[in-house]
Amino acid sequence: MKVAYFSPMPPERTGIADYSGLLVPALRERVDLDIVRRGTRRLPRGTDVALYHVGNNPDAHGWIVGALRRNRGIVVLHDFVLHHLVAGLTFARGDKEGYLDAMQRDAGTVGRLIAHGVADGLLPPVWESRPQEFPLVHSVLDHADGVIVHSRYVEDEVRARGYPGPIWRIPMPTWPAPDVEPLRLPRDASVVIGCFGNLNPAKRLPQLLRAFAEVRRGHPEALLVIAGGISSRHELDLHVTESGLQLDESVIHLGYVEEDDIWPLLAACDVLVSLRFPTMGETSGSVIRTLAVGRPLVVSDVGWFSELPDSVAAKVPVDESEVDTLSAFLELLVSDPVLRARMGNAARELAVREHGLDHVVDRYVAALEEAAGRDAVRNALRSDLARAGVELGLDARSRELDELVASMRELDL
Amino acid sequence: MRIVVCSPQVPFARGGAELLAENLTAELRRRDHDVDLVTMPFRWYPGTRVLTGALLWRLADLEEADGRPIDLVIATKFPSYAVRHPNKVVWLVHQFRQAYELDGTELGQFGPDPVDRATRRSVHRLDEAVLGEARALFAISQNVADRLRRFNGLEAEVLPPPPQELDYRFEQNGRFVLSVGRLDRAKRVDLLLRAAAADTAFEIVVAGEGPDRDRLEGLARELGLDSRVRFAGRVDDDELARLYATCLAVYYAPVDEDFGFVPYEAFRSEKTVVTTRDAGGPLEIVSDRQTGVVCEPEPGAIAEAVSWLGAHPDEARAWARSGKELAERVTWDAVVDRLLSS
Repeated sequence: MKVAYFSPMPPERTGIADYSGLLVPALRERVDLDIVRRGTRRLPRGTDVALYHVGNNPDAHGWIVGALRRNRGIVVLHDFVLHHLVAGLTFARGDKEGYLDAMQRDAGTVGRLIAHGVADGLLPPVWESRPQEFPLVHSVLDHADGVIVHSRYVEDEVRARGYPGPIWRIPMPTWPAPDVEPLRLPRDASVVIGCFGNLNPAKRLPQLLRAFAEVRRGHPEALLVIAGGISSRHELDLHVTESGLQLDESVIHLGYVEEDDIWPLLAACDVLVSLRFPTMGETSGSVIRTLAVGRPLVVSDVGWFSELPDSVAAKVPVDESEVDTLSAFLELLVSDPVLRARMGNAARELAVREHGLDHVVDRYVAALEEAAGRDAVRNALRSDLARAGVELGLDARSRELDELVASMRELDL
Repeated sequence: MRIVVCSPQVPFARGGAELLAENLTAELRRRDHDVDLVTMPFRWYPGTRVLTGALLWRLADLEEADGRPIDLVIATKFPSYAVRHPNKVVWLVHQFRQAYELDGTELGQFGPDPVDRATRRSVHRLDEAVLGEARALFAISQNVADRLRRFNGLEAEVLPPPPQELDYRFEQNGRFVLSVGRLDRAKRVDLLLRAAAADTAFEIVVAGEGPDRDRLEGLARELGLDSRVRFAGRVDDDELARLYATCLAVYYAPVDEDFGFVPYEAFRSEKTVVTTRDAGGPLEIVSDRQTGVVCEPEPGAIAEAVSWLGAHPDEARAWARSGKELAERVTWDAVVDRLLSS
């Protein structure tokens, strides 16, 4: 089986490039994988099935959506909300009509009117203000013969949009956690809380800082390590100061962390916090890595994050008590090393059981095999049954044939 | 209770699965239930025919018969468990193994082309749908349950079936090793023949029929075993009981077998069993040097095991008696209680 593989690849600096960097070598051992060069829209000769990795970043995924529109295939939906992607491929390129159409496909006349408002400068850009209300996911679903998702949340959302094709839920794979020495941090601490990733407003840094400040009253030696790109150092300073904390003292910001330093940094942390709201239906690579190194997690109770078992993650509802709940969870974890160890062990077990690379590759192979031959199998079955029906003189609209079709559906055939 | 037992039928073929369905039907009748065995012919090739077979079972209407409701359906083997019924219990003998662990081996059916691959995956999906909807799911062995969990993520309770009723007895330790079962490649009777070629001290009786018989007879001739191997074909119950009662030991070493009645029958006759590490189901009752010998699947290891048993009849008898204790715990009362109370 020959698979055309469309994805950002390392050294591109995106989570999906990292994902493919991990997946491709293992998947290649099981199927004939042709990695399509960035910008190519044609399918390689002899392709049985095309696999398109789609995320919300138009720079990384615009060419992939272009290829998908030219040749249908299986879409790996890394984000459910694709508003940035679609706006980037239409509005940002001067294709106002394309954006209006996408909004109309998503939300009917209201969607089109809102898009007009944005285009005319009467409304703030939807991709900045409320993209989750208009995911624009039809822009890829309409061209997908099947969809691979990483969570039940996205599966449910896709189905709720009326997508009729097959959906395969395949967990994110874990990177095999290397045996590394913990990174030496600039300051000694009794307990280290980590927060990693690109620190955009959805990561809820102000809430985390306020909760940590509360915890630190009882644990003055606790340290919060923030790692990842930020839009403004000044803004971070402001949030830290507002929380009554001090940057480079109780809070350390490490900026973008190179791949080689991620594992030692995770190993240096005792608890990892990954807050998110709103969610774009994404999974989190740093959460998956945290599971692999066996550290307890505190996450927002939304989307994919809600699906993490309670044994590995404390889940904070996004409500008016968010900061209080978060600080209560952190207090518990900071004070109780036995609980941390128990959750860490459960995390490691979950990483092996659900997110092991072999397991994920098995699921990919199953999905690709199904996708590549599914229509041929159905046609063979149908022609077999149709022949029997004709021989028995059954009409194509007969009740018996309806029953047959219903039975096939029940058997997922 | 009105109960239907479902089992597919491969015309002219008869083995453990057929026996199990017939015995279950008979045992339910003995307990005053109104029971019938429903079968349907099954051909699993070519191409997508394996799926058509499942679809036919799905279309079978067993919710009522002759105007009266059927209270319970007990399905046993692929594809009979595709049947639709609100009170469906599956006592899983086995799935369509060519789509599972046998895939990619010489015993597999599906090749590398996309249609074959997708057909195999359709069998998986179908199994997940129709086994997942059952009100209760039992497996005849841990091996079958483990495979179901590994490939389909479904849990089944292990409920081993009792062997057929024979006049089980011990008469003597004869000079021959007995092989019982359908003659196909997966049963690996050839390993026993090659073991006999390596050690001239024992003889072999092969009881059973099957598509591998010609090849095995040819191999026996080639190995110069004509006078030491007897292919008895299909034997009747009395003859089978006599063979068990008079053999030295029983050989049973299929590839990753789902269950296998043979060790249970051997133990009931106080005969020990020689099997291999990769035999699957038999290893749930044959433990090395406790109830039998578990060796590598190589002729030399099998010859050595048989030779040792011949030289140590007291130990062999003691192991067999330990096996008998285990085998006697598996009763129809226990099986029927569990199937009906689930």
